[in-house]
Amino acid sequence: MSTIKRTWKVNGKSVAVRAPAGRRLLDFLREDLGLVGSKEGCGEGECGACTVIVDGEPVVSCILPVGQLPDGTEILTVEGIEKKRAGRLIQQAFVECGAVQCGFCIPGMVVSSYALLCRNPKPSVQAIREGLAGNLCRCTGYTKIIQAVKLAASRLPKRK
Amino acid sequence: MKTTEKIDIRFPKTLAEALRLQAREETRGKLLAGGTDLMVQWASGVPAPGRATSIWNLPELSSIEIFPGHVEIGAGVTHAFLCDCPQIRAHVPALVAAAATVGAKQIQARGTLGGNAANASPAGDTAPALLVTGGSVVLASLSGTREIPLSQFWTAYRQIAARPDEIIVAFRLPQKGKARERFRKIGTRRAQAISKVMAASRILVEKGIIQSAAIALGSVAPTPVRLGAVESFLAGKSLSPAVIDEAERLAQATVQPIADIRSSAEYRRWASGRLVRDALENL
Amino acid sequence: MTKRTSQSIRLVGKGMPRVDADGKVCGTTRYINDIDYKGILHGAVVRSPVPRGILKAIVPDAAFDWTGITLATAKDIPGINVVHMHDRTMPLLAEIGGEIRYRGEPVGVVAAKTPELAAEAARRIRLEIDELPPLLTLEEAVAIFKSAPGQLDTMKEQDIVKGDIAKGFAEADEILEAEYRAGHQEQLYLENQGLVVFPQKDGSILSEGSIQCPYFPVHELNDPLKLPPEKIRVRQTPIGGAFGGKEDYPTMLTGYAALPALKSGKPVKITYERNEDILFTPKRHPVWVRYKTGFKKDGTLTAIECDYILDGGAYLTISDVVMFRGILHCAVAYRCDNVVIRGKVARTNSMPCGAFRGFGAPQAIWGIESHMDAIAARLGKAPHEYRLQVHARPGDRTPTGQLLTEENGSTACLKLALRRSDFAKKLRQVSRGRLRKGQKKLYGVGMSFFAHGSAFTGDGEAKFKAKGRVELAALENGKPGVNIRVSSTEMGQGVHTIFTQIAADALSLDPAFIRYPMADTGLVPNSGPTVASRTTMVVGNVVHRASLDLKNQIEAFASLRFFQGAPAELRASQLVAKGRKPLPFAKVAKAMLAEVGSASGFFQFVLPDSIQWDQQTFKGDSYPGYSWSANVAEVEIDPLTCEISVPRVTAVIDIGRVINPVTASGQVEGGLTQALGYAVMEKIGTGRNGLYDAARLQTYIIPTALDIPEYDVKFVEYPYSFAPPGGKGLGELPMDGLAPAIANAVEAATGRRLRQIPITPEAIFEALHAGKKGTP
Ligand SMILES: Cc1cc2nc3c(=O)[nH]c(=O)nc-3n(C[C@H](O)[C@H](O)[C@H](O)COP(=O)(O)OP(=O)(O)OC[C@H]3O[C@@H](n4cnc5c(N)ncnc54)[C@H](O)[C@@H]3O)c2cc1C
Ligand code: FES
Ligand code: FES
Repeated sequence: MSTIKRTWKVNGKSVAVRAPAGRRLLDFLREDLGLVGSKEGCGEGECGACTVIVDGEPVVSCILPVGQLPDGTEILTVEGIEKKRAGRLIQQAFVECGAVQCGFCIPGMVVSSYALLCRNPKPSVQAIREGLAGNLCRCTGYTKIIQAVKLAASRLPKRK
Repeated sequence: MKTTEKIDIRFPKTLAEALRLQAREETRGKLLAGGTDLMVQWASGVPAPGRATSIWNLPELSSIEIFPGHVEIGAGVTHAFLCDCPQIRAHVPALVAAAATVGAKQIQARGTLGGNAANASPAGDTAPALLVTGGSVVLASLSGTREIPLSQFWTAYRQIAARPDEIIVAFRLPQKGKARERFRKIGTRRAQAISKVMAASRILVEKGIIQSAAIALGSVAPTPVRLGAVESFLAGKSLSPAVIDEAERLAQATVQPIADIRSSAEYRRWASGRLVRDALENL
Repeated sequence: MTKRTSQSIRLVGKGMPRVDADGKVCGTTRYINDIDYKGILHGAVVRSPVPRGILKAIVPDAAFDWTGITLATAKDIPGINVVHMHDRTMPLLAEIGGEIRYRGEPVGVVAAKTPELAAEAARRIRLEIDELPPLLTLEEAVAIFKSAPGQLDTMKEQDIVKGDIAKGFAEADEILEAEYRAGHQEQLYLENQGLVVFPQKDGSILSEGSIQCPYFPVHELNDPLKLPPEKIRVRQTPIGGAFGGKEDYPTMLTGYAALPALKSGKPVKITYERNEDILFTPKRHPVWVRYKTGFKKDGTLTAIECDYILDGGAYLTISDVVMFRGILHCAVAYRCDNVVIRGKVARTNSMPCGAFRGFGAPQAIWGIESHMDAIAARLGKAPHEYRLQVHARPGDRTPTGQLLTEENGSTACLKLALRRSDFAKKLRQVSRGRLRKGQKKLYGVGMSFFAHGSAFTGDGEAKFKAKGRVELAALENGKPGVNIRVSSTEMGQGVHTIFTQIAADALSLDPAFIRYPMADTGLVPNSGPTVASRTTMVVGNVVHRASLDLKNQIEAFASLRFFQGAPAELRASQLVAKGRKPLPFAKVAKAMLAEVGSASGFFQFVLPDSIQWDQQTFKGDSYPGYSWSANVAEVEIDPLTCEISVPRVTAVIDIGRVINPVTASGQVEGGLTQALGYAVMEKIGTGRNGLYDAARLQTYIIPTALDIPEYDVKFVEYPYSFAPPGGKGLGELPMDGLAPAIANAVEAATGRRLRQIPITPEAIFEALHAGKKGTP
């Protein structure tokens, strides 16, 4: 076992990290930081329920060892999304479109949607489907989730 | 404590430092790049090693360079980075297409080309596309670097031709030039899917005559394979329906796939020929 | 809060946003694994490594440090080692000297400080077993049935007989017989099974977790735990999907956790990881169904004979009722005077199968809807025209003799689905095995038509007498409001939202005043399990009536206390009396709480007397009401690779009164997507070792956002008038009929009928090319 000591920014706040280097980021977020919004559906990268954004990229935190994230890493979880304008728009659109059922996949879906809209503020339906393809949902059949992302995108402030 | 927490992971800052660690058995660790294969294996019961050497984000492994006639892609380049690099697409389009089918966005953001190749799964998506370039792998160790042709890289089921003290640093891939490339994967579903069968090809046709053909398949043998018999049959032929039929038949006669959870041997054999047809019909 | 007007509240029929959505999108909803329980132990189940044998000994490794670890085996069961499901045959844990009947059958439970230590301890227990030869699959059971029917080991059999089948076949011009098969299907709720059992000082237990039917453990574990129902309290945490998968199984899990909890005196939590969840929890029953049908040249069905065999696994658990629902759906949607349906639950050495959305009906409908297309083809009729001709409609009698009333929108579903999908025109474009001009893919369109019985079978609801309360109470914000107290659980299907709508309308109260606390058997009356597409129809009616009862009480109080006896009415969150200034509900409710204490409206569901059912002969009114649906699926098959895709699906549905069109269409899209997986990709086999071969998300394949079709979902409303607001069952119907619609479309595309799902590229390849060389 090796232990790491790092400083990251999680949801905009500076966090001192001390953990076994091989600890899964998901466990660190949920158990050490109490950020239990990210869920574990499989523990092997397939379901996307644990998706968080690391330095701008969506990743599955269940197969990411914390040691690989250097000082200064910025992490955004579902708990931090609310503070972002696009994030709030996505959350609202999910509620309005009825995109939520049991809710277990939803934090991951919201995070993946946010990552998608940050890169591509006007995604086609195909691009939305691709952006969400790493997030399994067993309840909704995805249709209303895709609608919600489209709706959120349409409400994003225009960027120059 | 979960098994991966027990691993002693080292985080070298440079390739040289990593090579030093790997040189001696006492400090050598399992190479850990994006971890998208390894972390899953360890979670699903494969015993975790005592030590690992993280090569994620090593600057020496992370670049894409374009030279006259060939490209050099660092082993640490992620599938996402590969897909986002517009210049590379013109030179090795099948490889980019393959990278785009690995898992989904989250996996592409972490999975690396080196990890995909070194993991040596017969279903590794990028392997056939790498093979048809006729390129090579650059391996480094404390004693220097060496280059081995990709055609000799995958030696047996989940075996590669690298020594334990070596790290894959890059892939040196000839550009396709005037040839056409194609990649097609038959997966278990449209995304987040391991292949049942897949094919990559690089074929040069001039004045209706096939000058050269490189065709490789994945998931039909213990390693990714080039279809030598089909390739030599095609060389010098004109692209006629009869030639395509024969190429399909030859491919089906050549491969010896097995049945597993994802597909049957019969389907894989048939589909191997079909994907060869697909490559030839879409030139 | 909505604007106050003098209009009454009308939420039923509107797409009110879900009451639980905010917490879910913000990640603040706390599922069982998100709750930080202090001082608990973690349990791990010790399982049989073989599918069948006699258990000789349980040997803990002497070299292992067992301090602080509790091991519970059958010896530690306080009462009788039998779980009371639909029979009393299944032990909670296998006993020494007893027979192990499936791979993974629990033999013991260990509990330790961490999940890792518990898992390690479980691995350190060796089992000595004298192995016996197992019968692992339905395929083997059916082989026995075909060669020597009497030797098939069945756990339950039931026939349905209508008319004279021999006469029916004698009258037929043609006879068509075929077999249809489907394998297991995994529910794959995203949140794995999990719960915590807290032993209480008085010897009782509290089980809290992801539990679909809180009252099941209360009544099923009395024997082994030696506890009366009132000493088993069950509380629901938010459920991350269930689909039936958390219906029967949490009883077992509660039992497993209770043993070390009672033994150690500490709370014990058991949560499964995905692999264990897939391997060792119940799935949809594999089916083998054979239809033999007789019909006249004009298409009239003269005889339907059907054998329907489910693989129940090693113990009956709830499979009898799954089979009942199955046979009741084998021929319910078509006119035929002579019907025989023989249902059986076969015993195999595999994990007992359980509830999964549809509950036997998808398996039945998979068979009959494939078969109806085959008959139409034999007659040279178009599949939709044939269904229009022979489908059941008001005035017809079902195989059990039930008269279909005007409240059945069967014809409307059929016609509208055909129109919306432009079926007739699309049928002219199908490939039938050969690409047409301009086509790159083989194109096919297919349909299915079916009913789903709402609520418990027969007079089950009359016997059960679902109860519910709607009570005036101080809410968590200190303000007065109303609590809905029923045992229906929110699993994602939206019951918390639609019951809030129903109560708000009945009370004429702003939904901001209404709460629906998580089900807790210590606090809520038993309104029954959240199963059988009964919730909206039966429990919705209970909520509606209990709300009216409470409304009356509030009005009576207001009249006396504030309006000097003048009649008062609760309308739009105000109490109004003629000529008086209206009073806000909050003011009246506060006074009522202070002066009367709590007040609650109550209702107990009754069935109309006209419902008659004979459980012995399976004759009579098999369901209080029926929902109906017609599905149309379009498929494309790549002739190059036999890959199949489903670009469009139309579903027209009669679920009676639609309480919330947004949650309702969400249910349909989700159910259709599960059915899509069932039809074309979800596959799980059994290895010789008795283990499922696809036990991870990497190998058990469900649809992603890239795999789904474009859905066109439309409702037609034929309300169930006996039980206002008139909803019928919705939950299961969307799962029922897409697989045969897809198979029928595949037939139209390829000219080949596939009689087994999933229809994978391999299956299509085999149908088109197996044994043949070269290209099509
Ligand atoms: C959900 C999911 C979906 C996936 N889908 C696909 C898919 O569709 N197609 C596909 O092909 N793969 C898929 N994979 C597998 C995996 O993502 C890829 O193989 C990826 O490219 C591996 O790269 P990595 O950097 O994560 O490898 P790691 O897991 O870090 O390493 C893999 C192996 O390579 C070795 N290694 C890594 N880098 C080097 C190096 N530079 N030199 C020598 N050895 C090295 C490691 O020691 C290890 O043995 C999937 C994985 C997951 C979790
Ligand atoms: S829990 Fe991480 S992908 Fe499923
Ligand atoms: S809402 Fe339940 S899994 Fe997506």
